[in-house]
Amino acid sequence: MSAPAMILPRQAVATSAAGPAPAQPFRLAAGGLVDRTATLDFTFDGRRYTGHPGDTLASALLANGVRLVGRSFKYHRPRGILSSGPEEPNALVELRSGARREPNTRATMAELFAGLEARSQNRWPSLRFDLMGVNQLVAPILAAGFYYKTFMWPAAFWETVYEPLIRRAAGLGRAAGEPDPDHYEKATLHCDVLVTGAGPAGLMAALAAARAGARVVLCEEDVRLGGRLLAERRTLDGLPAPDWLRGVEAELRAMPDCRILTRTTVFGAFDGACGAVERVSDHLATPPEFQPRQRLWRIVAGRQVLAAGSIERPLVFGGNDRPGIMLAGAVRSYLNRFGVAAGRRAVVFTNNDDAACTVADLAAAGVAVAALVDMRREVSPEIRRIAEAAGASLLTDAAVTRVRGRTALRGVEVTDGAGRRHALDCDLLAMSGGWSPSLHLASHHGGKAAWNEARATFLPPEQLPPGMAVAGAANGDLLLAECLAAGARAGAAAAQATGFRPAPPATPSVDGESTASAPFWWVRGGRGKAFVDFQNDVGVEDVALANREGFRSVEHLKRYTTLGMATDQGKTSNANGVALLAELSGRTIAGTGTTTFRPPYTPVAIGALAGHHRGKAFRPVRRTPTHDWAAEQGAVFVEAGPWLRAQYFPRPGESDWLETVTREARTVREAVGLCDVTTLGKIDIQGPDAATFLERVYINTWKALPVGRARYGVMLREDGMVMDDGTTARLAEDRFVMTTTTVNAVRVSQHLEFCHQWLWPELDVQMISVTEQWAQIAVAGPRSRAVLERVVDAPFDIGNDAFPHMACAALTVCGGIKARLFRLSFSGEMAYEIAVPARFGDALARRLMEAGAPFGITPYGTEALGVLRIEKGHVAGNELTGQTTAADLGLGRMMSRKKDFIGRAMAQRPGLTDPARPVLVGLRPVDRAARLRGGAHLLPRGAESTAAHDQGYLTSVAFSPALGHWIGLGLLVRGRERMGEIVRAHDPVRGGDLEVEVVPPVFVDPEGARLHV
Amino acid sequence: MSDTALAARSPLAGLLRPGRQGARGDLPGVVVQERTGLQIVSLAARKGQEVPLMAAVRAAWGIDLPTTPRRVGDARLAFVWSGPSQWLAVATDWPGDLEAALRAHLGGLGSLTDQGDGRVVLRVRGPHARDALAKGMAIDLHPRAFQPGDVAATLAAHIGVQIWQLDEAPTYEMAAFRSTAGSLCDWIVAASAEYGVEIVEPG
Amino acid sequence: MRIACPFCGPRGSEEYTYLGDATVRRPEGDAPSEAWFAYVYLRDNPAGRHRELWYHGAGCRSWLVVERDMRSHDILSVAPARDMALARGRAA
Ligand SMILES: [Zn+2]
Repeated sequence: MSAPAMILPRQAVATSAAGPAPAQPFRLAAGGLVDRTATLDFTFDGRRYTGHPGDTLASALLANGVRLVGRSFKYHRPRGILSSGPEEPNALVELRSGARREPNTRATMAELFAGLEARSQNRWPSLRFDLMGVNQLVAPILAAGFYYKTFMWPAAFWETVYEPLIRRAAGLGRAAGEPDPDHYEKATLHCDVLVTGAGPAGLMAALAAARAGARVVLCEEDVRLGGRLLAERRTLDGLPAPDWLRGVEAELRAMPDCRILTRTTVFGAFDGACGAVERVSDHLATPPEFQPRQRLWRIVAGRQVLAAGSIERPLVFGGNDRPGIMLAGAVRSYLNRFGVAAGRRAVVFTNNDDAACTVADLAAAGVAVAALVDMRREVSPEIRRIAEAAGASLLTDAAVTRVRGRTALRGVEVTDGAGRRHALDCDLLAMSGGWSPSLHLASHHGGKAAWNEARATFLPPEQLPPGMAVAGAANGDLLLAECLAAGARAGAAAAQATGFRPAPPATPSVDGESTASAPFWWVRGGRGKAFVDFQNDVGVEDVALANREGFRSVEHLKRYTTLGMATDQGKTSNANGVALLAELSGRTIAGTGTTTFRPPYTPVAIGALAGHHRGKAFRPVRRTPTHDWAAEQGAVFVEAGPWLRAQYFPRPGESDWLETVTREARTVREAVGLCDVTTLGKIDIQGPDAATFLERVYINTWKALPVGRARYGVMLREDGMVMDDGTTARLAEDRFVMTTTTVNAVRVSQHLEFCHQWLWPELDVQMISVTEQWAQIAVAGPRSRAVLERVVDAPFDIGNDAFPHMACAALTVCGGIKARLFRLSFSGEMAYEIAVPARFGDALARRLMEAGAPFGITPYGTEALGVLRIEKGHVAGNELTGQTTAADLGLGRMMSRKKDFIGRAMAQRPGLTDPARPVLVGLRPVDRAARLRGGAHLLPRGAESTAAHDQGYLTSVAFSPALGHWIGLGLLVRGRERMGEIVRAHDPVRGGDLEVEVVPPVFVDPEGARLHV
Repeated sequence: MSDTALAARSPLAGLLRPGRQGARGDLPGVVVQERTGLQIVSLAARKGQEVPLMAAVRAAWGIDLPTTPRRVGDARLAFVWSGPSQWLAVATDWPGDLEAALRAHLGGLGSLTDQGDGRVVLRVRGPHARDALAKGMAIDLHPRAFQPGDVAATLAAHIGVQIWQLDEAPTYEMAAFRSTAGSLCDWIVAASAEYGVEIVEPG
Repeated sequence: MRIACPFCGPRGSEEYTYLGDATVRRPEGDAPSEAWFAYVYLRDNPAGRHRELWYHGAGCRSWLVVERDMRSHDILSVAPARDMALARGRAA
């Protein structure tokens, strides 16, 4: 067989030190939209090739005669390129190397760039000699459901034998295993009309809407606008398609409120927005400086037109996965768009009229067409004419029943209706089973695609996502004239619905066309495995097996056989799989139905979903006003909710955190320390009904609190559990400032607004957060007053008589800075909290350190804060678990009986007043040298270590510098009745088990004398 | 006992250095500036006092308190809607204490709270300001949807912000909690990098 | 999902916090325990229209009563909770 005259080996253009790059023997001499003036070098499996700008990796490989590009998922069968678009199930390759190595890239979507490194996947040791190809020999055990059947027993084998074996033998590419060096972005786009797909329907929709003045976003997955027009030899308004497209694109680009996003896939229609990924730099070796690799768009559109086109269906026959067997439309795309002949001698195999275009286009390009094999008994005179003109023999009522060639197609055997067999040499088989609309986005809101018998295809559901219309091939229109008209109508309607007045759109005239087809899917009785789903290696016999075993629902079929799963989500296999199941189970296709399409339409990189928010920017960080000062002091920081707080301040010579924390806590007990407590939530509550409001949200009373005093308060949820605690100070008759715990600040604020706006709107009260307005620093310890006296402006008296425990006042410090002073203590020592406007927080900390230096002041962090409060038995987040009541925590007596408050009624129910509930106790190790572990479970002595004997757990533990041994707080069943009892602290996680004594929770100064000095 | 007053520290001290970042070229696509000299006081109407409160504001400063998300006033004093019957009074280089001035005129008609230290305010302007902001803000800033004088309380890079537009340059100002200043600036600088971003001296 | 705040305009659901059923009424303090139990725990889950409380925490800090079709997520109406509570108070 001689090469057709028009395919001329190209002269090698590019040369390099490594020698001349090979020519592109399958590149046509002319035609296509590639830039033949430039040549790009690339490698595939280490071999050097060339292509042109405008090529995809797939078109460049075909131009170079590379057919075998991968091995299949399960059986490691040789696979080639099936399609020319996003539906590609076979040609999945690994691109780039190192940290940018990316597996499972569709060669049909990867734009060629200079220096592209591509490798085949799923083969070992090499693509051509794949040892795992023996999987084909054991195919019977890899049939449908093999995961569920074969590897059932013994269970211990699963992790050690079966799973590693399967992972080696099956599966797709390898991830890079290194951090992604590129950055990604997320952004939001608003528009009146979103058009998905820039084929004929989408372009007309965008034109109609944009001409009416609507803000239009047009998303196209491809780098070029045009869709199928790029792949066909068509004329519109008398112009060749590329010329017509140029005019439309120019008009759209000239309109300021029309935004065109190419290389952008709309992957999901969600509630209120669509998600799209723009592959900003995927077509380059590395992203340009300051450009992301990909950008995730959230598109909020008033209306949207889905014009995503359609996907050609393969035909199901024995050996239909052989490299060289390709979709007929893809063959045209390679010819007309890329100037590449996918073979030298072709057979076209079809059930429809559309494939005749492939015959004509192949012939026009000089590729020999051995035969047009049509499954239909009758074909139109026009098709006969095309076949004749191409020199192809026309075989009707015929089917391919056998293919020859192992890693590449060498020929086919066709059986006609009379049973005659025809052996045909060919290296290319173009097949077409008709076209399925790309309606995925139309069913993302749960609407099921509906079978249309007349068009022999699934059509978009009646129940579309709100605001969506479907136009063109995505809606089952296959004639170009229909697509153009439907797109224009849909675009105009969308503009009208968003408040614009579109002119009636004119649609271009087109040349003649036909799309008649007959619903033939499957060739019975052929030789070899007939694949339905190429990517998952699901064949006819797998579907048949599933049917025999009773998996007759399409959803069951999918899970049992994996048909329609993985990265292509069944784009080429869905309709064939359903049709086959329908036939095998004796049902109609409509009655069999289809599986649900869910987002994403194509795979989306995790990086794109994260955008800017990775690493240190994973979530916003809140820094205290003294952060930089604390960092200068060598502080180690810890996350407390969204805040970064100083955890402890190590000093030179201290060997570990415990030594530092012990020193900090001891200094507070013996001298003085300071700690930034700005992060506690602060809420300014004003209005004539402020006190009434507090009475209703706190369990204790507030109306009688004098101005200039603070009080500890506890809040419940309505179910009776403690929500939060903190001190609230009365600044004026009608003004309070409430403090909340750091982590509950937002929740409490929301709760208070709920109470005010929804429960008691009649109250005259206003609230606003002032957490950030005031830098608040705790100064604690017996020398705290001495330090503060050096800071507070005269003549304010902070002595114990004038300013006793729980006093508060507005005053000035440091020569006129307005401040608020509170005498509050979390440590049990004499202590103050001083608040200044946040801009002065840093300077105040420095000033307090200077003023405190003569007294040995130390900064202390959250760890020492915790030690001091545990020594005092104060509850904190570890005890406020949402499962503890005020009574559990020893705060039951605070609950007023004279008023209603949130949680009062439910706190009185029997379950919450049960005396057998776990309550707060102190715990200390019997062996004083032993270390306690938080989370250890409390069990009676001598009881078996089982959940049945669990009586509580250690909530908080600390090494107490004051006592010289470890102490803990815990929740223990009937704890208050068990003082002095020895129980076990059992820690199965860390392997500890030791005896602890139940003691009152206040370890230091139980009378509180130190507060009042 | 006490001595000299304390030094104030910007929430962006050490975090936002003046100079050009990102893509080079003649003009920066985005210009970012920290606002200084601001006093901010929140104002919430007492129950049922909206009408007299609005009358008192009009009488004192000639400003009609906005009842929709708008900013009314000028660079010296403006009221920014921040919720139903709630506003932020934002003043630049106001002589004396803004809260005291408001209290003198508005007395028991509204609850006033000093907020000037609790916020960082960034001015963001330039031909690509919208593009950069769209990378973290989900609201529609297109001129058909958001114009000078418009205000929104929303999220920017997961951080709560109040944003208002000053002119058609466009120039925006964005107020966020002080503690988030670092994360907010990291984001806006990263989002602007592809257009070239100029950080100018605070002012 | 997008909810049109009556004050701020349409915003994505990330700006809101969901609380739940807006049809339950908090009982009086001395109501029997059954009433409290119903208020705190018992919830209808209608396949259709439902009224729920949402909080526009990242916006104007308003609590809203959102009427939503639980099957389609269609939002049928949004009203300030405070206005509805005041109206309820007047009606009572
Ligand atoms: Zn709102």
